[in-house]
Amino acid sequence: MADLITRDTTSSHTFRAGRTRPARKGLGRRDAIAGYLFVSPSVLGFLIFVLGPLVAALGFSFTRYDVISPPTFVGLDNYVRLFSDQRLGLVYLNTIIYVVAAVVLINGLGLLFAVLINVRMPRVLTYVFRSVYFFPSLVALAYISLIWQALFQRDTGIINYYLEVIGADPVNWLNSSSQSRFSVIIVDVWRNVGFAMLIYVAALQEVPRELEEAAQIDGAGAFTQFRRITVPMISQAIFFNVTITVIGAFQIYESIIVLTKGGPGDSTRSIVMYIAEKAFADFDLGYASAISMTLFAIILLVTILQFRIRRAWVHYE
Amino acid sequence: MSSAATLLARSARRRRRVPIGRVVAVIILFLGGVGMIAPFLWMIVTALKSPAHLFDVPPNWIPLEFEWDNFSKAVNGPLPLLRNMFNSAFIAIVGTLGILITAPMAGYAFARLQFRGQNAIFIGLLASMMVPVQVTIIPLFLIMRNLGVINTPWSLILPALTWAFGVFLMRQFFLTVPKEILEAARIDGAGPWTTYRLVALPLVKNGLSALGVIAFLNNPYLWNAYFAPSIFLNSQDTATLPLALVLMQGPFSTGQMNVVMAATTLAVVPALIVFLIAQRWIIASLTQSAVKG
Repeated sequence: MADLITRDTTSSHTFRAGRTRPARKGLGRRDAIAGYLFVSPSVLGFLIFVLGPLVAALGFSFTRYDVISPPTFVGLDNYVRLFSDQRLGLVYLNTIIYVVAAVVLINGLGLLFAVLINVRMPRVLTYVFRSVYFFPSLVALAYISLIWQALFQRDTGIINYYLEVIGADPVNWLNSSSQSRFSVIIVDVWRNVGFAMLIYVAALQEVPRELEEAAQIDGAGAFTQFRRITVPMISQAIFFNVTITVIGAFQIYESIIVLTKGGPGDSTRSIVMYIAEKAFADFDLGYASAISMTLFAIILLVTILQFRIRRAWVHYE
Repeated sequence: MSSAATLLARSARRRRRVPIGRVVAVIILFLGGVGMIAPFLWMIVTALKSPAHLFDVPPNWIPLEFEWDNFSKAVNGPLPLLRNMFNSAFIAIVGTLGILITAPMAGYAFARLQFRGQNAIFIGLLASMMVPVQVTIIPLFLIMRNLGVINTPWSLILPALTWAFGVFLMRQFFLTVPKEILEAARIDGAGPWTTYRLVALPLVKNGLSALGVIAFLNNPYLWNAYFAPSIFLNSQDTATLPLALVLMQGPFSTGQMNVVMAATTLAVVPALIVFLIAQRWIIASLTQSAVKG
């Protein structure tokens, strides 16, 4: 995501300011009206389906509400309750594990594959590899999870079959409180690594060859060259990929529903599953709203933090 | 460079020692690629198996039997799969069309029109990308219930008609349209709408196609969505395809694996075909928008 609030670079401001503006005040006004009309559908959608619900969720978080009777104000009760909710702690722990694993693995592997694909090889190979790695990102996570759920079966799944062939112990992929998180992570990484790779490939192609060659002549080894030249040059892409993997991993939902249903116990349950359960199974809408506010606060915090880091760190052309 | 020099350079390159690094790169990518294809291959092979051979050891990767019956079982099974497919397509197409109308208009206004409060409104929309549907799902559910659209496609289409991400994407594309062209249209007497519709919009065709692909696939209410549909839709007849397939799997994974995989194949193969036909273009759209947006 390039600078979102980019300034206009294509036009001559003097032209507007100097000659045309005073003569065409009426047009400026028409422009303004058109501007409001043009943005109004999007603004309306934003107010009704994003901002309104966000404010409402904040409001509900201070109430007890079960849909049937009207909400009653309970002050900070729901927020106090967060701290004694042991399930919430575990569910957040799981979610944070998913987020950290997704960021590290998707970006690590994505960058590795991108560097490898960027190596000079027949064009056909580049093309085929790129497509093969990327295709899963276009397929609904629900479908991919259904396939992997079958592969992960303990007794009949082919993953455990091949593990036994190479002499390893079978893994209880779907029904173990210590091992099943791996299957959620594997599915997430497998689906999304290709998209991250694609972004990195595009970024790597922008790195000027002369820079790398100059570093080589100066005697930099491959690793130094990568760390000192390549990484800073693609920092924009790294920022973009890290941001979307973080936000994506906080929302992990259907893969867990398909693979483990959140179990055994709560050992693989994510925060979004917990919100849905509290709201639409227990009808504890006030408390569920308080939990969703914590999720919002975390996403807000992460985003602000990333913008800060980006300002300090990202290299701009 | 003269052709002689090119030739020289080329032969020099050829004479270099065996590029072990490149061979290793290709081998690693090949192994990884096998890992990316194998699950899909296994899906198709399983979809063609009879129950008797489902758990053959060692597993075979080449279909030895063609149990086409699995597909008709999937389609005619307890779930109205064709109906679910239609639901998904209807929601995704209408929603994408809506976004293709609203997002470019707003993107154009932010990039090329001037009005008071422009920046504040833009930053508000920007911030809304930090609010995933999972955070606001409770009020959204209540809104949909009050509108009377729960358990209808409109519960997903309505919130999908506008999309902040699409607005930013289109704004980035409109920033590449030279102002002078638009000025010229204005001087010729075109109003803001005509200028937008007949001059600016045709200049961002790439942006529109990128937006179409991304909205169809990635909008949280459309084709690949699961969370919002799972909350708003609650019957087999209104379910979208992803919901239907997960229902088919059954609450205790009791669904017949070959039939579930046949249904999954039906869901994945259209995407595969579209991808094979348009991959160059899809990949270009997505990377371009990521780099731009």
